[in-house]
Amino acid sequence: MSHANSNPIDHPEVQLASPGAYLVAYAAALGAMFLELWLVVAHVLSPISLTTAITVIALLVITVQMYLLFKLDLSKTQIWFTVSFIMTAPLIFMSIGLTIWMFITLMQRTMLPGM
Amino acid sequence: MSSHDNAPVDPNTVELWDYEDHGHDFIGTRTLGFWLYMMSDAMIFAALFAAHGVYVRNFAGSFTSQEVVHPMNAIWPTVFILSSVMTYGLGMVALKKGNKSGVVNALILSFLLGVGFLLMEWREFSELAAMGAIPQMSGFLSDFWTIVIAHAAHVLFGLIWMAVMIVQVAVNGFDQNNVYRLLNLKIFWHFQAVIWVSIFTFVYLFGAI
Amino acid sequence: MLVDLQGPWNPIFGRLGLLLEVHYNNPIIFFAFMMVVIGGTAALSWVTFTGRWGWLWREWLTTVDHKKLGIMYILVGLVMMLRGFVDALMMRTQQAMAVGPDSPGVLGAAHGYLPPYHFDQVFTAHGMIMILLAATPILVGFMNLIMPIQIGARDMAYPYLNALGLWLTVAAASLVMIALFVGDFSHAGWVGLTPLTELPYSPGVGVDYYLWSIQIGSIGTTIGAVNLIATIIKMRAPGMTWGRLPIFTWTTLASNIIALTSFPVLGVALALLTLDRYIGTHFFTADLGGNLMMYTNLFWIWGHPEVYFVVIPAFGFLSEIIPTFSEKPLFGYVTMVLASMAIAGVSWTVWLHHFFTMGASPGVNSYFSIATMLVGIPTGVKVFNWAFTMWRGKLRFPTPMLWAIGSLFLLITGGMTGMMLAVPAINYLVHNSVFVIAHFHNMFLLIVYAAFGATVYWWPKVFGFKLDEYWGKVFFWLFTAGTLFVFVPMYTLGFMGMTRRLDYIPHTSWEPLLLLEVIGTGFYLLSILAFVIQLGVSIYNREKNRVVASDAWGTSRSVEWMTHTPPPFYNFAVTPVIHARDEWAWRREHGLTNLMPEKFLDIHMPKNTAVPLIISFFTLVCGFALVWRIWWLAAATFAAIIIAMIIRSFDKDTDYIIPAAEVERMEKEIVARAEGRIPAGEPAPVGGGAGGAYASKRTPTQRRDND
Ligand code: HEM
Ligand SMILES: [Cu+2]
Repeated sequence: MSHANSNPIDHPEVQLASPGAYLVAYAAALGAMFLELWLVVAHVLSPISLTTAITVIALLVITVQMYLLFKLDLSKTQIWFTVSFIMTAPLIFMSIGLTIWMFITLMQRTMLPGM
Repeated sequence: MSSHDNAPVDPNTVELWDYEDHGHDFIGTRTLGFWLYMMSDAMIFAALFAAHGVYVRNFAGSFTSQEVVHPMNAIWPTVFILSSVMTYGLGMVALKKGNKSGVVNALILSFLLGVGFLLMEWREFSELAAMGAIPQMSGFLSDFWTIVIAHAAHVLFGLIWMAVMIVQVAVNGFDQNNVYRLLNLKIFWHFQAVIWVSIFTFVYLFGAI
Repeated sequence: MLVDLQGPWNPIFGRLGLLLEVHYNNPIIFFAFMMVVIGGTAALSWVTFTGRWGWLWREWLTTVDHKKLGIMYILVGLVMMLRGFVDALMMRTQQAMAVGPDSPGVLGAAHGYLPPYHFDQVFTAHGMIMILLAATPILVGFMNLIMPIQIGARDMAYPYLNALGLWLTVAAASLVMIALFVGDFSHAGWVGLTPLTELPYSPGVGVDYYLWSIQIGSIGTTIGAVNLIATIIKMRAPGMTWGRLPIFTWTTLASNIIALTSFPVLGVALALLTLDRYIGTHFFTADLGGNLMMYTNLFWIWGHPEVYFVVIPAFGFLSEIIPTFSEKPLFGYVTMVLASMAIAGVSWTVWLHHFFTMGASPGVNSYFSIATMLVGIPTGVKVFNWAFTMWRGKLRFPTPMLWAIGSLFLLITGGMTGMMLAVPAINYLVHNSVFVIAHFHNMFLLIVYAAFGATVYWWPKVFGFKLDEYWGKVFFWLFTAGTLFVFVPMYTLGFMGMTRRLDYIPHTSWEPLLLLEVIGTGFYLLSILAFVIQLGVSIYNREKNRVVASDAWGTSRSVEWMTHTPPPFYNFAVTPVIHARDEWAWRREHGLTNLMPEKFLDIHMPKNTAVPLIISFFTLVCGFALVWRIWWLAAATFAAIIIAMIIRSFDKDTDYIIPAAEVERMEKEIVARAEGRIPAGEPAPVGGGAGGAYASKRTPTQRRDND
């Protein structure tokens, strides 16, 4: 097989590594975590806008990480990584979202304490 | 395109067998397979987060989440784990240059930072246990312990893997197998960081509100 | 940390002391035990006296050949199906005997012959085995067997993990079989109803057997899914574009996307229940902040996608069989692909229809009801596509086609009753009645029909001879009689209000219908007999029914018919170049059916390995130790698994090269054999059933230089 002869370090996925992307992802993630923490302990927002704000920040960080750490894009080497992620992400949101939705309505209708 | 393009075919020139034999992209196949496994793992956490959404207020008269989670403390493991991911990334940069000692050093550094993360978690949970906030107390506590420990188990597994890779790279250098394993471990290590970001936000910070 | 247990426990033997309480004098357990002992001894002595241990080890136990792994998957599935069928026989007869207060009871039962606790274990084992250890392995087996050849690949992306997946499935099946004799099995239904499965209500080891065996099996299935998806994405032959992929390969992809994403959720549901039972957490308890509906929720997040995981490959079988025997290309290829994907997608959004009666808001119920009905659209597209494929085709009706058409009828009736169940207003009436049981058996039988069709269809490809048509037809019609006699009365009983899982029937007016069901079970029994005879007759007459042509049916269309029959272990001497959807039909139409390439190349193949077998053995022991809470053994075997994996990672001698000249020699030999120039009885150095002993015979192996 041809691959046995070429140097594995030349593989495109190895060559994707770039110090800039790692440092930016690091700074972004750490900064966002401190920002979220500050928002929570400083009580500057109402509970509802606080939860929304930190949810949005967390999702943004995850998106940035997906792009910078996993290099998810449409290039030839990465396309299948991206496709499989894009097919899985909705399942994650759906299983969490629908579950919470059904149990909230269940709790409202049954008024069982602690549910 | 269709199954019957009726364009005439010259039986003497049509290429029926692939004499070039391009083989397949071994490293790319291994990393894709591992990424698929990661998607599966992501669904494990999806289920755990779904459960968290349901148990989040089930204190059953025992400790409330505000008494249990301390985001001010949890930020330090966060710093450690994100730094560990960063140093691993720098190791990948060293790999790109074929720098063996660079890779080994980066792995050792990430390993130590990861160990630091686990030690801090250990302290947090021994304190919880000492104050009686054990998983047997309520649905909420069961859920809290489980989701954090599920992540910690990933970190532990990643650390074992890292230790093995340090030896592997030192012994076998950058052969095909080690390169794909380093790439896979990169995926795994970055993945657990994404999970930790979610846990810090949706378990610790939400719990403190 | 650990929970308090009822009954004995000690650090060395865990809870094995409980065994003293098992009633081994019960004739049913005794009979089952004797069957297993006799069967096992017979098999072992056959292997020993014919001197086949080495053969077994080299050819099967350590193989990484996807075709052999596929065959073993199917075999395991068939054996477990037989076990599940025996469970079914017991349920049918018990229900027919225990009607009305005056019905007699024997063997310690008040009515019939199975006391409630035993009856409950029987239906639990039946459901769990049939879905997870019969249907799933059989389908995964076909995917392994056929899909790689269909895409023109020589082996799979992860031959070693593929073997691990198989052996983990075997470990799961073994654990269930061990539960039959060592302790007991869960009595809480195949869905594992909480809080009945919690420790206070199920203090024995039955539920623990259930938990660990499913957990092990589902890890195996997930590993298999990774391998199958990566293979389809990365290992296609040149020219095999997505638009040319055979439909069965597409359905394999769709179905494994489901497996990959849904099995982890099952794993979590079971793991949380395990935590409840082992360390006393409060996930699904009725008190202290537990939420028992959360288990049902997690279970069905997996459960519904799982039913589509098993049905989509069956759709793939139909899409291969029907065009072959209609002598037409499949109608609506693109819509077929889209429909498969759509079904996989929709299957993820409907799970609450299994617990409409939980009492979520009308908004929630309506959403899930509508989502459920949406699946009718892609399914309808498929049914019409098959119908249009047959329309004006040159139809022939050998057994695969009979099974396929039977399958279509079942799909329509089962789908219709599913639609009824999807309406919450109807569902509240028939939920947990035997109407539901009839619905899903109807659906599973569709899969069974398609799988039997696929067996007859691909048998000659795999083994080199056709199955007997006469006994095949007897089998089909007996089986169909069984289906009608069992399930038409069952639908009726469901409407009459009979709930599921009854060990005692209070209404004597249900008796006639229950007796009809017993008659149906009798037909099933006869049909199994016919199947065995069919196999026996076919093997006996194999010389007469020998197939040497690559295309056993003369009208097949896809790439698996483009290699020798049976395929050599390297599948293709030289990787084919694909020019069309239905490549084989294209080549046939252009007169390009010569399979002999002009020159040969070195072939790179994975070597046999015993590591998957060893890891699975440790997993089995670990599972057993966890069931009986023998902590030291569990810890030791778990550590052994990790160490085995690490050791394997240092093994660089994992593949070998077959030189081109050797390939040429083997190819010529295959042709000589096909032309009858080598007597057929001669042991095959290259192609036995589905390959050869090549991978381990080569000593010393040639190393592939690692870069
Ligand atoms: C594709 C093959 C299918 C299979 C293998 C299948 C299998 C099953 C199984 C195993 C159950 C109940 C299990 C239990 O409670 O123990 C079930 C219930 C149900 N099925 Fe299906 N099913 C299939 C298709 C469908 C379709 C097409 C629909 C509707 C459009 C449907 C609607 C339902 C509903 C609503 C229930 C819940 C009934 C109840 O428990 O009240 N199913 N099915
Ligand atoms: Cu369903």
